[in-house]
Amino acid sequence: MEELPIIYIDKEELKEFCSQDLSEKEGISYEWEKEQVVHIKLNPSLHSFGRIGKVAFQRGDFPFPYGQSVPWIKDEFSYIVYVLDENTARVFEVVEGRLIEKKLYYIPSKDDLYSRSKGILEVNILESKRVMIVGLGSFGSQIAIELAKAGVGSFSLFDFDRIELHNLARHTCTIKDLGRLKTDAIYDAIVGKNPYAHVDKFPIDINKNIPLLNEEISKADIVICATDNNKSRFNISEELVKQQKLGIFGRAVTRAEGGDIFRYVPGGPCYCCLIGTEWYDTSAEEITNIGSGRRNGQIPAYVSDEDADAVVQVGLSSDIEPICNLMVKLTLMELSRGEDSGISCLEDELVYDYYMWANRRERRHVNWAPLPNAGNRPTILRWYGAYIKKVEDCPLCSHHIVLDEGEEYEAKLGEMTDMKDVD
Amino acid sequence: MMTPERLQAEKDVLKRKLPCYDYRFLDMETSKPYIVLPAKTNRGNIYTIRIELDEFPNEIPKAFVTKMLKTKLGKEMNDCSASMHTLTSEHGYTRICHYGYSSWTPMVSLYKIYVKCRLWLEMYELHLQTGHNMDYYLNHQE
Ligand SMILES: [Zn+2]
Repeated sequence: MEELPIIYIDKEELKEFCSQDLSEKEGISYEWEKEQVVHIKLNPSLHSFGRIGKVAFQRGDFPFPYGQSVPWIKDEFSYIVYVLDENTARVFEVVEGRLIEKKLYYIPSKDDLYSRSKGILEVNILESKRVMIVGLGSFGSQIAIELAKAGVGSFSLFDFDRIELHNLARHTCTIKDLGRLKTDAIYDAIVGKNPYAHVDKFPIDINKNIPLLNEEISKADIVICATDNNKSRFNISEELVKQQKLGIFGRAVTRAEGGDIFRYVPGGPCYCCLIGTEWYDTSAEEITNIGSGRRNGQIPAYVSDEDADAVVQVGLSSDIEPICNLMVKLTLMELSRGEDSGISCLEDELVYDYYMWANRRERRHVNWAPLPNAGNRPTILRWYGAYIKKVEDCPLCSHHIVLDEGEEYEAKLGEMTDMKDVD
Repeated sequence: MMTPERLQAEKDVLKRKLPCYDYRFLDMETSKPYIVLPAKTNRGNIYTIRIELDEFPNEIPKAFVTKMLKTKLGKEMNDCSASMHTLTSEHGYTRICHYGYSSWTPMVSLYKIYVKCRLWLEMYELHLQTGHNMDYYLNHQE
């Protein structure tokens, strides 16, 4: 049987304590109540649950015979940690003024933690990469955490929203995060997977701060656009083109009956080029709540909340999972491109600009082939890739701009008036 | 905000389509640039259309008639109305609903928006004449 309580201490903090040349310092214990699990920290944890106690960190080895009462120890301390060196410590529980030694587990230091996660991916490559994620909803939150697990070392997170009840079902966050900024909650989730990740949080609307958006794009190796509206996609796309940066755009269509991913590669077609193609359907945007639908203009202002309710149709988490998953794969592949890594071979497979996914054969996917015998045709639960043609006179990515002059409306107007000059 | 190339392309279209019109780009060096264009209807009435350019072309720009219009029965057209194709007014101006979310792309020219606003004005004057709601004449702006 395992020995309880289970006590964890962070080797990075032992290192810190030793480097400060102190003889003693007060720390904190966080106990998961009724679970007999304790995490001892030198520095307060940003967010934590459970019972909190005081800990005395002491430099040197335990000076008293086992079980002897220690004159200076007051009951206000729950644990005493004797730090022998930056790799070794002993922990004692304080029970009625006596010290009882307990087994100690270590959270490994940075180098050790990375070497453990070394697997198919070249962690050294990813550790030096910076990923910018715009939108931390059900897509962005999952993608952020997956990339942290894979070893991406630096993040720039954009979302001005807070966790609300309607987010919970598909979001990585839980009920204890209600009310928190998504940037703060996802910061915790990333650091929880990789405590050494560098994370910059921007709880702002990128559409209202284009200079900051552009500055962060310039620092990023790749930009993931996981927002729910075209305005932000156009804004990001325009800057990706200007700065010649990689970008991955993903979204779900109505009720998450499917979704799509667009990859921008410098020199290739941009998001605006995609919109004019037969594949793309702007009207199919999934609207996940009335507030964002109204903010984005997807629900016109004259539509009542009651009627708006009918257009808010949210799919299952398992419906968007495959889309998030391919967005993560595309990102990891692009970040490791040209390096000798375990996913290099994907460079021969993921060659398309645009990827479509259908969860069910309904509505816009109703004519897609049934999975059995679909052959090369688009079908459900299988990725379908397409090359997108770069539009020669695209207003966002070409220098020669040709605008939509609205000939059809001009004709309508012409039927009514001869557009007399106004002097 | 428009790039210099985009602004030039818009000016080129306007110059070609509305050669004798006195339209003006205003406050272009500020965070709230806009354009005003004169519009004369079939019935000979003159209005001014104001299109705000701060988020153009990545977002549908706000478009106004630079006064508070009234319906046939005299109600101010200052709020959202599906049947009259208006949105909540600003600056004391009636705001025209000229584009829906799903059909907007950054390729749309200011000229096209102007033409749609001109059509709206024709429908508005038909409404004043007949009393029909504007969507009697105009399908929802797509
Ligand atoms: Zn383009």
